[in-house]
Amino acid sequence: MWTEILQGAILASIFASMIRLATPLLLAAMGEMIAERSGVLNLGVEGMMLMGAFSGFMVAYFSGSIWLGVLGAMLTGGLMGLIMAFMAITLKVEQIVTGMALNLLGSGVSLFWHRLLFNKTEEVNVATIQIFQPLRIPGLSDIPYLGEVFFSHRWLTYLAFALVPMIWFFLYRTKYGLEIRCVGENPRAIDVRGVNVARLQYLATIFGGLMAGVAGSFLTLAASPRFVPEISAGRGWLAIVIVIAGNWMPWRIMFAALLFAFLDAFQLHVQGVGVLIPYQILLAIPYVFAILAMMGSRARSEAPRHLGVPYLRE
Amino acid sequence: MEPLLRVEGLSKRFPQVVANDDLSLDVRRGEIHCLLGENGAGKTTLAECLYGFFKPDAGRIFFRGQPVRLSSPSDAIALGIGMVHQHFVLVPPLTVVENVVAGTPSAGVLLDLAGAKRDLETLCRKYGVDLDLEARVWQLSVGKQQWVEILKALYVGSELLILDEPTAVLTPQETDRFFATLRQMTREGLSILLITHKLNEVMQVSDRVTVLRKGRLVATVQTAEVTPADLARMMVGREVVFRIEREAIHRGEAVLEVEGLRALDDKGQPALRGVSFNLHRREILGVAGIAGNGQKELFEVLAGIRRAGQGQVRLQGASILNRSPGEIMARGVGHIPEDRIHEGLIPDFSVAENLVLGQQRSPLYRRGPFLDPERIAKFARTCVSSFDIATPTVRHPARFLSGGNLQKVILAREFGQCPQCLLANQPTRGLDVGVIEYVHRRLLEKRAEGVGILLASEDLEEILSLSDRVAVLFKGQIMGIFESSQASLEEIGLLMAGVRGETA
Amino acid sequence: MTGTRRGLRFPYRLERRSDVGRWAQLAWLIVAIVAALIASGLLLLTAGADVVEAFGALFGGGFGGWREILETLVRATPLILTGLAAALAFRAKVWNIGGEGQLFAGAMAGYWAFTLFAGLPPVALFLVVIAAAAAGGAAVGWLAALLKTRFNVDEIISTVMMNYIVMFFLSLMLSGVGPWREQGSYYQQSAMLPESAQFLVLLPRSRLHVGFLLAVLAAMAIHILLTRTPLGYEIRAIGFNPTAARFKGTNVPKVMAVTLAISGALAGLAGAGELFGLQHRLVMDLSNGLGYTGIIVAMLANLHPLGVVLAAILFGGLTNGAFRLQVATGVPSAFTFAIQAIVLLFVISASILSSFRVRTVSDVD
Repeated sequence: MWTEILQGAILASIFASMIRLATPLLLAAMGEMIAERSGVLNLGVEGMMLMGAFSGFMVAYFSGSIWLGVLGAMLTGGLMGLIMAFMAITLKVEQIVTGMALNLLGSGVSLFWHRLLFNKTEEVNVATIQIFQPLRIPGLSDIPYLGEVFFSHRWLTYLAFALVPMIWFFLYRTKYGLEIRCVGENPRAIDVRGVNVARLQYLATIFGGLMAGVAGSFLTLAASPRFVPEISAGRGWLAIVIVIAGNWMPWRIMFAALLFAFLDAFQLHVQGVGVLIPYQILLAIPYVFAILAMMGSRARSEAPRHLGVPYLRE
Repeated sequence: MEPLLRVEGLSKRFPQVVANDDLSLDVRRGEIHCLLGENGAGKTTLAECLYGFFKPDAGRIFFRGQPVRLSSPSDAIALGIGMVHQHFVLVPPLTVVENVVAGTPSAGVLLDLAGAKRDLETLCRKYGVDLDLEARVWQLSVGKQQWVEILKALYVGSELLILDEPTAVLTPQETDRFFATLRQMTREGLSILLITHKLNEVMQVSDRVTVLRKGRLVATVQTAEVTPADLARMMVGREVVFRIEREAIHRGEAVLEVEGLRALDDKGQPALRGVSFNLHRREILGVAGIAGNGQKELFEVLAGIRRAGQGQVRLQGASILNRSPGEIMARGVGHIPEDRIHEGLIPDFSVAENLVLGQQRSPLYRRGPFLDPERIAKFARTCVSSFDIATPTVRHPARFLSGGNLQKVILAREFGQCPQCLLANQPTRGLDVGVIEYVHRRLLEKRAEGVGILLASEDLEEILSLSDRVAVLFKGQIMGIFESSQASLEEIGLLMAGVRGETA
Repeated sequence: MTGTRRGLRFPYRLERRSDVGRWAQLAWLIVAIVAALIASGLLLLTAGADVVEAFGALFGGGFGGWREILETLVRATPLILTGLAAALAFRAKVWNIGGEGQLFAGAMAGYWAFTLFAGLPPVALFLVVIAAAAAGGAAVGWLAALLKTRFNVDEIISTVMMNYIVMFFLSLMLSGVGPWREQGSYYQQSAMLPESAQFLVLLPRSRLHVGFLLAVLAAMAIHILLTRTPLGYEIRAIGFNPTAARFKGTNVPKVMAVTLAISGALAGLAGAGELFGLQHRLVMDLSNGLGYTGIIVAMLANLHPLGVVLAAILFGGLTNGAFRLQVATGVPSAFTFAIQAIVLLFVISASILSSFRVRTVSDVD
């Protein structure tokens, strides 16, 4: 098996897949990190991603424009983020339960509308759209191996990775980034300075939802041309794990996302090569790895102290 | 001359209580004005209203002669009012500079940490504050953290500085230095409103003092014209007994022997570095020291909640080192924890359920595999009457009880289980004078019964008056143990700060 | 609670009240359910359905007659058990999101026991099978506890991940290379269970099986456990204040492990019920999110075991009625998932709102 895999072409394909597969994970994890940095534990990422995938597909299907589809996914994710924010920040409901409810909402509504619109017309497997194609960068895309790995991706992928330094800069070099870091650790610290804690948390949470929505749209507008129920397949949960594994820091999250994506890419290619490992075991690898990655208290050292705790001004 | 700050008829109500009732006072430029009152008198609430954190329900506030409406702390800060809260509001993982800058109004979106650092260095030089500005706050001692808080207020150009119980975490010597710096600040033009419940501090540092009691204004007086007894009477409303009547009792044999105890704190740093002492029957051994020097860890190790790395603890000769809390409880050791709400009680449980906490598996309260609610209720009713706990029924959630009654629940529970020794960690923190007297009385009764009591308190006066012997704890080591009759405040203060005398 | 918006003055303030009456809570619950129905109605409108006709079909299909009610109880059976599983764990503030995986683990364990002991007389086989199912679910729950207390793995993550892992395992067992696939079949399913292994049916001409009794008994047992035993006391204590419980001698990790084991066992029993009592065949979609729905049921019931039975029956009715809904109006039966989530969102909002009171604030000059 190994001799078959350790060939230049296969390796290039694996790494290219890795970068591609990391896109939704990275987008969702970036958003979730910002939300968690502000103290809101959003467990509804899976549902938001699913709704993003679904609404992105729907808008693209009926409007004919995949760009509108991305916009639709963004707005849907943002809307669900707003619900999460309202319940967690204003109503101060238990955040874990709210997140679960949003997952179920995303699951149920997407399945409902999907069946509604496509079951009738027997178009379930036929409904497809023209998806985003990888960008061709003149010169760079043609470099052997490296060209495939780095320079033949869709714009969403480039966006996802470009966001990493941008968010880093935002978090550590701007006023608002500093305030968000304070809110998750000790909201009272900047509440007593007159900063509007709730507003910061709302914006951070909505941003998280927005990003989860965009991440979902990648699944149906770029990675594959159709929507199937539960297409997110636990990626939202993996994003949450990635935030923890990346210790709530942008660059580390990027590496964690790449690691998980690598596992995914690897098992895809192993299947393709025709190895005798049952595919179920290969598919299970990322999930097992997620549990392993969470072991050990080291990973929690940077967890925002006030994560998941509603802030009450006494 | 028009006072810097004038308050007229300020009232603030919360769902269960009227915190401030028609208060009026003023603060002059360049003065140190103390706000004195017991816990719960409304001092902090008033301060929060002056700072814009709360909106008063009635009343007017004038600053520099102009009426002002403070709808948020940014309004207060913009006017020049700064506040240092009793419980620090710092962000531990961030640096000092980041903490000071966070949330301050600034022109642009980008942070200018280098510029801020320069400004802070100037301020530190001006007031003689020695602080590593690049250190992360969690690395700083509590005293230094307080200076960060003060820098926060100075950085935004406060003219009026409100300080809420700033000396709670300082040794007597540090307090003196702190007050000296305050005096210098007032000479530079700052005005200070100092909130405290400590009479001696009021006498030491203030120009005028306003006394609050149960949310109402009692009087505003010139400090030079009153005595501590006057102030105490104003605070409480009646003559206050300063010294507790403690009869001399001959102490008995050692009930708890501690040798060379070593343990780590929650961060993995050494908290106890070889603590040794003996606790005798019929004695109260006081543990003096600033919070954070190992008291919490000591009590937790003795109660079996925290692992000790090395050393030995013997109860009546038998080792109880690193045994489970249940076993230690069963051997007759009671524990009154530091934080009554988070460590001592389950607020959502009923009063009765709280009274049997720890005993839920005991055959006393069980019938077969099930709990026996009748016996539990009976026990609870007994406790309620003998400890005078104010609760409608024993089935009411403990959440609704006042602080004093909550402490009585803990006392009732622990007193019934501690025939050998009692570990009392800050048993009177945050309580009214009336309840404090009650707790002191019950502790002395227990002492007379033959129990050995280990008492930790932030209130040196309380320790000196209740204890037979006093041990000073500094950075996890016992600096010295004295008979309380022979202890002097100054000597203990030095030891609390880590300055060893000849006796060490 | 007021946001200090620049310029905008918020004339109302929400104040937390500390005396929440039972009746106030009940009133808010009803308001929430009504609001949820309205919101669901809006969703129906997007489907182009006649809202009245749709709700009529939905509730009629769930509760309209004796036969419908019996079928509803069949649907409610696993929900009672997964609801209990979630409620018990959540009481200890242990977030067991793994009901789905534990259900399947129980079903697989029960099936495996059946393969080993198929020769036993029916009653003995029944006992062996449910014991195995409970053990299977308990093992998964206990594993999550171990990961949490020993390795600091958040139980939300571990239980969710295990959901996926257990499903993959089942898929493997039912695949071409697995031992359980029905001979000669291309589908991922086991052979049909013989009648001797199937759960007893309680009433003729219905599908109501012994699992329902088991579920109701379990609800009563869990209620007694929580309110009348020392273990239940400790479970509640940990949920409210683990620090104080620990300070007074409770072995928190051990109680968490026991809680998760019992929780997993309950979900495992749900799996056994669906396998032996309803579908009679081990298949990939033995459960269609029953574990997750159980969480909603538990939240609706405010984590009260007896409330779980009622909430489970309500949701069982919705599930059952959704089939008639689809037949009568063409609205996809997947509507149930949406309405369940909407109900949950409104109910948890209401429970918070019920503890607030609105006050008007007059400006201070």
